[in-house]
Amino acid sequence: MTVLGYLANGLVFSSIIVLGSIGLSLVYSIADFANFAHGDTMTIGAYSALVTFGAVGGLGGAVLGLPYGFFLALVVGIAVAAVVAVGTEKLIYEPLDIDSIGLLITSIGIAFIYRAVIQIRFGADFTRFDVEPLRPIEWLVPYGIRVTLHDVAIVASAAVLVIGLHVLLQYTDLGRKMRAMADNPDLARVSGIRTKRIKLWTWVIGAGLAGAGGVFLGLFNQLSPRMGFNLLLVIFAAVILGGIGSVYGAMAGGFLIGMINQLTPLLSRLGEVLPLVPDGFGIPIGIEYANAIAFVIMVAVLLVRPNGIAGEAAT
Amino acid sequence: MDVADRRTLLKLTGGAGVLALSGCLSTTDDGDGSGDGGNGDDGSGDGSGDDGSGDGSSDDDNGDDSTDAYEIGMVDSLTGSLSAFGERNQRGVELALQRVNEVGIDGRDLELIVEDSESENQGGIAAAQKLVNQDGVPFLIGAVGSGVSLAIYESVVQDTDVVQLSQNSTGLNLTDFPGLLRMSPSGRTQSLALANLIDDDGYDEVAITYVNNDYGQSLTDAFVEAWDGEVAYNNPHDQEQQSYSGVISEMNGSGADAWLFVTYQAEFATMVNEVFSAGYEAQFYGADSVSGDNVLENTPEGSMDGMKIVVPSAPVEEENYQTFASEFEAEYGQQPTSWSAYAYDCVMNAALSIQAADEFTGAALQDTVRRVSGPEGEEATTFEAASQILSDGGGPDDVDYQGVSGPIDFDENGDPVGFLQILEVQDHDYEGIGFIEG
Repeated sequence: MTVLGYLANGLVFSSIIVLGSIGLSLVYSIADFANFAHGDTMTIGAYSALVTFGAVGGLGGAVLGLPYGFFLALVVGIAVAAVVAVGTEKLIYEPLDIDSIGLLITSIGIAFIYRAVIQIRFGADFTRFDVEPLRPIEWLVPYGIRVTLHDVAIVASAAVLVIGLHVLLQYTDLGRKMRAMADNPDLARVSGIRTKRIKLWTWVIGAGLAGAGGVFLGLFNQLSPRMGFNLLLVIFAAVILGGIGSVYGAMAGGFLIGMINQLTPLLSRLGEVLPLVPDGFGIPIGIEYANAIAFVIMVAVLLVRPNGIAGEAAT
Repeated sequence: MDVADRRTLLKLTGGAGVLALSGCLSTTDDGDGSGDGGNGDDGSGDGSGDDGSGDGSSDDDNGDDSTDAYEIGMVDSLTGSLSAFGERNQRGVELALQRVNEVGIDGRDLELIVEDSESENQGGIAAAQKLVNQDGVPFLIGAVGSGVSLAIYESVVQDTDVVQLSQNSTGLNLTDFPGLLRMSPSGRTQSLALANLIDDDGYDEVAITYVNNDYGQSLTDAFVEAWDGEVAYNNPHDQEQQSYSGVISEMNGSGADAWLFVTYQAEFATMVNEVFSAGYEAQFYGADSVSGDNVLENTPEGSMDGMKIVVPSAPVEEENYQTFASEFEAEYGQQPTSWSAYAYDCVMNAALSIQAADEFTGAALQDTVRRVSGPEGEEATTFEAASQILSDGGGPDDVDYQGVSGPIDFDENGDPVGFLQILEVQDHDYEGIGFIEG
């Protein structure tokens, strides 16, 4: 496989990580705790989409190898993930009068509950969306890029969602209020911003993006009750790397972590890839250490920039 | 006050609900783990479960004309992560006890005291200690997980005369303990069979990926040892990753046309899908834990056709297995698994060794346990026939009990002759294409 091929794989994988990490960072910046149930929120999105897609079917035509019904299922997955997250916030997080560590521990419990409910309903075994599996796009194969139309769909949809979020944050009233609240909740409140309502919207957006990430993760790989939880550690790495609480940092961090994860095979043959390095040179490390390498790079970045890529300088 | 009370009540209810749910979760988790990782777990021997059963026999004062039942023990995984295996074992055991007690052992019944190992080393040792030290059983069937079997052997059985026969352990390292017998074939036979199979198919290069645990590692090491050709790629992968595209692209890059997978179903299904969507072509081979209906259901039609998998199997075409299977189905309304057949044969082998021995002691049973099912003597496929040979004055070497799980024939390391089936994926379904004995 060529470097281009690995980059393409990295782009696809990054798209999913980015969707997950934005939500996590967003909720952290406004609700002020690390939500360990975030991975399982992704799982909820994926399974809601599975049920919806099973019920509505293909609905006729298809875009990028995906039937229309799948996009409807995607929307439902996003919606259900958002509703569940808002419900959890209203029922549990908000009434709980504890600090952020308490909320963090609570969210671990919530994660167990989400996963248990899914497992009770769907069993612990894995499953897949009933979408026709595709072969790689033929005209890209000579370049060493082996991606399917589904992969293109994942990247394109993720790009649309990320750009949508950017527009929302920068150019809408809600976005300005969210940024204000992330900066200083008390000041936002005295300025007349209804912070509770903003908080709810944050949950909707964060969990919705997680739901979308979950649906794409299911399409990319498979669905299982532990799918989101298994990805959570990587997502946390992305968020911390980007600077926790920063949405744009989370995007950068997610992109970087996803890329590193998929580019690991190149490490053992760096010489062939990089121009100025002798051919035989490589870091002899197996791809089973992909996640470890991502974390090493995360630590290295944090040593240089203690608040992450996009974090503000320490005062 | 009212409000506070209601709030307290709500909190308590909520807490109870959470506890209940988390209880469900862990139970389901465990059950599933053992269910779908079942073969793998067992093969790897990292799970450990055994149950011990023994009924204290007051009649082990040898040589008396007691009509009390002979009591032996069994450590089984009645609960814990391997409880699915324990359940299968118990069905086989019950059926075997019925068959034995229809005939009787010199007019006496066989009783089995079953103790639970909780699928853990500690539980297994406690169960075995109870059976050996309190009940005084001379013959101990146990355990499921290879780790538990070994733990029991090393801490309870090793320095005594007690015979230990594991019903389901397939871990490779049990071979190093000749005193520890087992009914299920070692994973090593699978590795040898795979090496021969790939060689016979005319490949001289192979790319291997294995799951990064004891099971994957030991099976792969045994394969590499047995494999004469070149190993073009040999790398582990972690469980439950979201993508294995790096693994498969490296396998493809290795240039080998034969790819061997030693992993579990979910991981393998992911890899097959990625191979398919990357458009690679190769001849697949797999260890038993990559086969399963869940793999067939979740991979594209035709994506695995031609793949060959070696699975431990009972000799399903033999008459005695078919009789066993039909009796089993009449009793439990389902087809037996090979794990039930192994447990069934454990009881049979124990009963015959008791009948053949001069006295009901560990030392005497040590002497007969291998011989009643060893290759010498007249073949007998049922307890009744084998028992008849013994009561007609035959010694332990005059009878060769042929188990429903295979010919048994323990070797000097206490391992049975493995009986394996080769499956080939045809039209996206598993078809048996032959058996291997070894």
